[in-house]
Amino acid sequence: MKKLVLSVAASALMTASALAQSANVPSNLEKLSGFQTTGVTEFTFIEQSGDYADGIKKTLERITLPDGFKIELYAVVPDARHMAVGPQGIVTIVGTRKDKVWSVTDRNKDRVADEVKDFAPSLTFSIPNGPCFSKDGFLYIAEQNRVLLFPAAEFFYESPDVAAFNLVAQGELIPPEHESFNHTARVCKLGPDGKIYISLGQPFNVAPAENLDEYAKWGIGGMIRMNTDGTGREVYTYGIRNSVGHDFHPETGELWFTDNQVDGMGDDIPPGELNHQTAMGQNFGHPWYGGGSVRTNEYAGQEVPVEVVMPAVEAVAHAADLGMTFYTGNQFPAEYKNAIFSAQHGSWNRTTPVGARVMVTTIDADGNATMKPFAEGWIDENGEYLGRPVDIAQLRDGSILVSDDLAGALYRISYSK
Amino acid sequence: MRALASLGLGGLLLAGTALADEPAVGDPVAGKKIAGQCRTCHGIDGYAKIPIAPHIGGEQASYLRNQLTAFRDGTRTHEMMSVVAKMLTDQQIADVAAWYSSHSATATLTADASGAPEACTACHGVDGIAVIEGAPNLAGETNIYIDTQLKAFRLGKRTHEVMSAVAADMTDAEIRAVADWYGSVKLEITMAN
Repeated sequence: MKKLVLSVAASALMTASALAQSANVPSNLEKLSGFQTTGVTEFTFIEQSGDYADGIKKTLERITLPDGFKIELYAVVPDARHMAVGPQGIVTIVGTRKDKVWSVTDRNKDRVADEVKDFAPSLTFSIPNGPCFSKDGFLYIAEQNRVLLFPAAEFFYESPDVAAFNLVAQGELIPPEHESFNHTARVCKLGPDGKIYISLGQPFNVAPAENLDEYAKWGIGGMIRMNTDGTGREVYTYGIRNSVGHDFHPETGELWFTDNQVDGMGDDIPPGELNHQTAMGQNFGHPWYGGGSVRTNEYAGQEVPVEVVMPAVEAVAHAADLGMTFYTGNQFPAEYKNAIFSAQHGSWNRTTPVGARVMVTTIDADGNATMKPFAEGWIDENGEYLGRPVDIAQLRDGSILVSDDLAGALYRISYSK
Repeated sequence: MRALASLGLGGLLLAGTALADEPAVGDPVAGKKIAGQCRTCHGIDGYAKIPIAPHIGGEQASYLRNQLTAFRDGTRTHEMMSVVAKMLTDQQIADVAAWYSSHSATATLTADASGAPEACTACHGVDGIAVIEGAPNLAGETNIYIDTQLKAFRLGKRTHEVMSAVAADMTDAEIRAVADWYGSVKLEITMAN
């Protein structure tokens, strides 16, 4: 095992050196790219038991699931956003909308994490929301305006100094003048073609007309893809408002993604979206459509200049559909095979809050998708959030993890007859 | 640094003039009801629940009023706040500002005070509790929130008679250092009742 890991690390090192030469690396990153130590030796460890964990466990007692499923606290992870499970099943990397990335390890394999510590503590992160792993163990982290690459992260993460490189250097993902905070929580996933797909939310409620040409050029309000050496960047998807979750169908390889829709049009419109893309370059309708077939006030009456793909599923308005994953495990009943598990973060200004639950979407033989609630109960009788699910990831045993950035936790949902 | 301090005084004078406009008198009890629209992000006590939102509990009413008015009028924009503020009357803005300003904010340093950013402390305090009228508290904000605001001032996306000039010449690293300083302060908010 050790030998295998080391050789993976070594080949990663060679690929990565080639990358480093072309990249414009910041100071600390420069040292880490050269495999030097930075002098930062201290991890921040997160307490996994005690009153805080007990409070979360109490909330989980009220969560309802289909028969045979149960939900348990897997880890306390502050500000937990999107997750990436290492291909060897050793570590789960968790992003945040702050400045930390967490590594979560279940050392004794009792399906509860034993250790949560910060990943690469010597690096300065900015909104490192989106981690993703390639099959050969390269970890990518999509930040506000940079994409980092960590070869053999499952091997190196145990040290504060992790080999690190730029895939996209600071300020080159989007022009810095278009940076924002809210709609720059990026998500990345590796596609079946081996390219990395990164969502780029546009920073407005409704994108203004004068920005559309530049946005289309960069893929802002869209999805971009590139080779894993940073070359060949191209815009894969247009007409997105702010997508914060995507994955590829395990059999067709096609891209599916959630998209958050326009605010301020009322409690019940426009619908949220789960979209299905079948070819490169398709347009999903923003800013002409606010969600589904509802036209935005800003572009009302204007002719839509592009062909628009309507959503595969119209979700309840303002529920904020975020992270999603296709289920490929063997633990859950057969009906869940290749189904989409997704998280609704919950509405922010709807009169009566809606969402804060895990949804499941099944796709029939004709490609018709149907979404229904799977795990719910995070909104209490006073309309207060007890948790806000963000992302779903699958563990190797076929159970799934749910991240929650309000409670600051990962939950594990498992099935037994 | 001295230039910045005198800019701070200029801000003080301007803020004073703005206050002479006789704004509506806010009612915190009415404001608490309006805060139902704010609490998912800012908390009912004004301690933010999500990183993108600033803490607003114990903030000066004048600052909150000015920002909500700016969001409503379009002189400050944000994809969420512009939507919310558009629906508020002057009275509702005064009320919700009164609610959040009725709480008290307490800051505790987690590092030696000598590390405080000199350019900021004359208005925002060493610990991020504002020391002049019209300035926001910065204690315990998510560093990325402060980082985002300073860059918005630098780019001209957000404007302010003092802050635009302060931010104009700051580098990314200087901005992040300031953001990290105030972000590291521990903030507690005590509700009025």
